[in-house]
Amino acid sequence: MKSAAQLLMERETRVRHGPVDLDRLGGRLEPGHSHLEADSYLLHTADGLRYFYRKGEGITICRDSAADASEEQLWLNGSVYSAVACINGLVPIHASAVAHDGKAFAFTGPSGSGKSTLIAALGQLGLPMFCDDTLVLDLGDPDVVTCLPGHKRLKLTPEALELTGARAEEPVGTGIDKFYAEAPAGDVMTPLPLAELIFLEEGTQPAIERLSGGERFLRTQDDHYTAHLFAVARQFDRAEQFAHRARLARQIAMARFVRPWDRARFHGGVALARRHVTAVEQQ
Amino acid sequence: MNAVHKLTGNFTEADIDEEIIIMRLDNGELLSLVDSAAAIWRLIDGRRDRAALVAALKAEYAADDEQIAQDVGDLLYQLKEAGLLAEE
Repeated sequence: MKSAAQLLMERETRVRHGPVDLDRLGGRLEPGHSHLEADSYLLHTADGLRYFYRKGEGITICRDSAADASEEQLWLNGSVYSAVACINGLVPIHASAVAHDGKAFAFTGPSGSGKSTLIAALGQLGLPMFCDDTLVLDLGDPDVVTCLPGHKRLKLTPEALELTGARAEEPVGTGIDKFYAEAPAGDVMTPLPLAELIFLEEGTQPAIERLSGGERFLRTQDDHYTAHLFAVARQFDRAEQFAHRARLARQIAMARFVRPWDRARFHGGVALARRHVTAVEQQ
Repeated sequence: MNAVHKLTGNFTEADIDEEIIIMRLDNGELLSLVDSAAAIWRLIDGRRDRAALVAALKAEYAADDEQIAQDVGDLLYQLKEAGLLAEE
């Protein structure tokens, strides 16, 4: 059975194609820019795709004849989906997650930090995928942080496919050196409580360390893009933003996963991550 | 005796584990208090003066009186400079 937040996102991300007025939220929106308000979002990509969302009305997409069709779904599932989530009170973060023992374990870091590769590798060790690249948090219950199951397919570079042994499917799009891939242990489609948010970092020796309260508070600002989106969409003042971050820091267990950028030591790091997830389950 | 009291309109705070995070509302600056600093902050109730804070802290920490008085003085100075406290 789907949660209220899942049904909300299904309803709010309905798509229709039609004209999108680039002047509708103030001044004319130039290519490569977006504009977010409390109940609406306008995006004009550098490739000429236009997206407009208004709360309760769904998403309108307008594609110039010159725009790349394969890009449409990527923007829709990325920036647009995150903006819609923020406007509706959900918190999207850049993270990929696996599911274990009825909980989600999320790995976060900047683009290129290996989130998807790690998820695919953990899949080879039997952990099903929960989401790739974007994790949406539902804070509707004041006592629990619940994660919505992913809305994106797993995407991997050729190098990540080779490293993890995951099976490639079709290319993601023109000019994008990534392939959709089958999640090796399948995926989970029901909301789960968030067990831990784990930050991916580079270092010489693989290690996973829990973060203290103050560190967790500071880390709530790590994901600058979506943290900023959420604050703008919710129209938070400084004190409200502080309270929001304090809640996340109090309720989300966090850790730092340090490992070397070395292919030869990749699987050792993956094994450590799996042991960590299993240890969290036992606590 | 000058009671030490918090200027509650100037900040917001949160307890996260054993740590206290304080944010100045005027500029968003963050302050983290742990250990004895967090204990001193919790003891500031608008009635205790410096001497009472030192006395209350002595009950919790094994440090000598001079060290505790120094710690209290240093923290109060820092918090007053940040506009979070007043003594009157």
